[in-house]
Amino acid sequence: MRTASAVSKYIAFARVATALARRDRGELYGRMLFFAVILGVFSSLWRAVAEAGMPIAADPRLLVWYLATTEWIILSAPPVHAELQESIRRGDVVCRLGRPVSYVGAAFAEALGLLAVRAPVLAATAWACAFAFTGWIPPLAPLALTLPLGFAAAALIAAMYLWIGLLAFWLEDVSPVFWVVQKLLFVFGGLMLPIELYPRAMQIAAAWTPFPVMLAGPASFVLRQSAADSLTLALEQAAWGGGIAFAVWWAFRRASATLTINGG
Amino acid sequence: MRAAPAVEITDLCKAFHVRRPRPGGFVARVQNFFRPHTQTVTAVDRLSFSIAPGERVAFVGPNGAGKSTTLKVLAGILQPDAGSVRVLGLEPARQRRELAFRVGTVFGQRSQLWYQLPPRDTFALLGRVYEIAGTEHRRRLDALTAAFGLGPILDTPVRQLSLGERMRCEIAASLLHAPRILFLDEPTIGLDVSAKAVIRELLHTESAQNGVTLLLTSHDTGDIERVCERVIVIHRGRLLWDGPIAHLRRRYLTTKRLTVWSEAERLELQLPGVRVVSSDAFRTELEVALDVASVGQVIDAALAQSPVRDLAVEDAPLDAVIRALYAEAEAGSSES
Repeated sequence: MRTASAVSKYIAFARVATALARRDRGELYGRMLFFAVILGVFSSLWRAVAEAGMPIAADPRLLVWYLATTEWIILSAPPVHAELQESIRRGDVVCRLGRPVSYVGAAFAEALGLLAVRAPVLAATAWACAFAFTGWIPPLAPLALTLPLGFAAAALIAAMYLWIGLLAFWLEDVSPVFWVVQKLLFVFGGLMLPIELYPRAMQIAAAWTPFPVMLAGPASFVLRQSAADSLTLALEQAAWGGGIAFAVWWAFRRASATLTINGG
Repeated sequence: MRAAPAVEITDLCKAFHVRRPRPGGFVARVQNFFRPHTQTVTAVDRLSFSIAPGERVAFVGPNGAGKSTTLKVLAGILQPDAGSVRVLGLEPARQRRELAFRVGTVFGQRSQLWYQLPPRDTFALLGRVYEIAGTEHRRRLDALTAAFGLGPILDTPVRQLSLGERMRCEIAASLLHAPRILFLDEPTIGLDVSAKAVIRELLHTESAQNGVTLLLTSHDTGDIERVCERVIVIHRGRLLWDGPIAHLRRRYLTTKRLTVWSEAERLELQLPGVRVVSSDAFRTELEVALDVASVGQVIDAALAQSPVRDLAVEDAPLDAVIRALYAEAEAGSSES
């Protein structure tokens, strides 16, 4: 009974966030437009590379679908760190801390609510654009697998952004941390190119980070055109999710103990 | 048998470690990054008081006195460094969530409402958060909507509301779960005179009718006088005064204002301890220093000069009384 009540609280936060996302459509339209532009540019680039006879070790059509998937995940993940930082800077966090609910749990539920609106819309955009630029659709079984695993990956990224946002309890500005982590995600996650195409040393380095399960992992099903290893990826995502959850919990615990509310 | 206190604080201490960057060039900047220099600022210093259930208490002090910090400790948001804090028998730092069901907080400069959404959506969310059953939630919301006049604004996005309307919604939101105590941190800040009057009336009525204990910080003495019956004054985290407002006036009231409407066009009252504040035709406003002269003496002197049509005797504003208290505390702390 208590668990159901606790879950319903977080569902309520997620629903508020979905209501917000539905009202504030401008950002979503902006992301959709960005999507179309970036996929257009890269599909032309991969085609030109292939036509020039340069070895890119994969079919350009697959690379466009791969990029569509990784970009879909990245663009779906809500940048919760910015909202958290603003709330902590302004001192508004005080209103949220006084509620009978976990502060980070509520923030994460809101992120999932935003994700629930963004992810389907952006997935449709991604697939439509990828089809428009390649005139081809990958086999449906591996493509369908990218949906739940991509959603889970975007949720992991949102949790990581949440951890970055919590650093605002100590740092004046978390954006440098965000930029560094995001660039690491782009590189080690394999945003533009599959990790298999990286030099060996880079592949080994990437394997020690959580980033491949956030981008390359779900997108590789499109590349391999196979549903094999999906359970392994889901388990890896769960393991890294546990690690990030611990980091978030620890950061919030430390912050609550030494909390200073800005502005009195 | 006396009821257990709603709030009980004993020797509460709370300090913050504030970063103070070393001035200087590159070396200082590197040092500030790797080994930041911090300074300890004492916000609350061995503060003790208790509040009975249903009391309406003003918590007053200059900026930086420790009022907001104390409220946040009471709400369980900040952890005390030392001392004991009990609110409704619970220990806020350890039992924050349990306590949250029984207390409400309003922070005048912060908002708990979703800016882009109508208040109704926030109320619905808070209903879930505070585990209020559907029918009870509807009943509470209807009652608060009627009491706070929220009907016309319930479905308007918060960003389109005036500050007064928003504040009514904030207070209604904090009362939705029927808390036994309401902590209010400057609830009327930035409001116009009529909006302030509405908020004060609502708070007073809610407390009087439902027995809600109020602890209210404000720099506006109107809030204190119209809502509260008792005042706690702190300065630099320490208790300066705790007692009924009337006693505070009596203790620190050194002057009274006397306005005389006379038959004669001008009154020439040159008495020791009496200062003419303003003088118009047939109207003279005087300030009487009570340790030198009595109001009766001044009235006698005025009557000796001219028949009097009317007169009014007023206490010095509470502002002046509190200023006197701060000044005394400042003098005391500079001597020590």
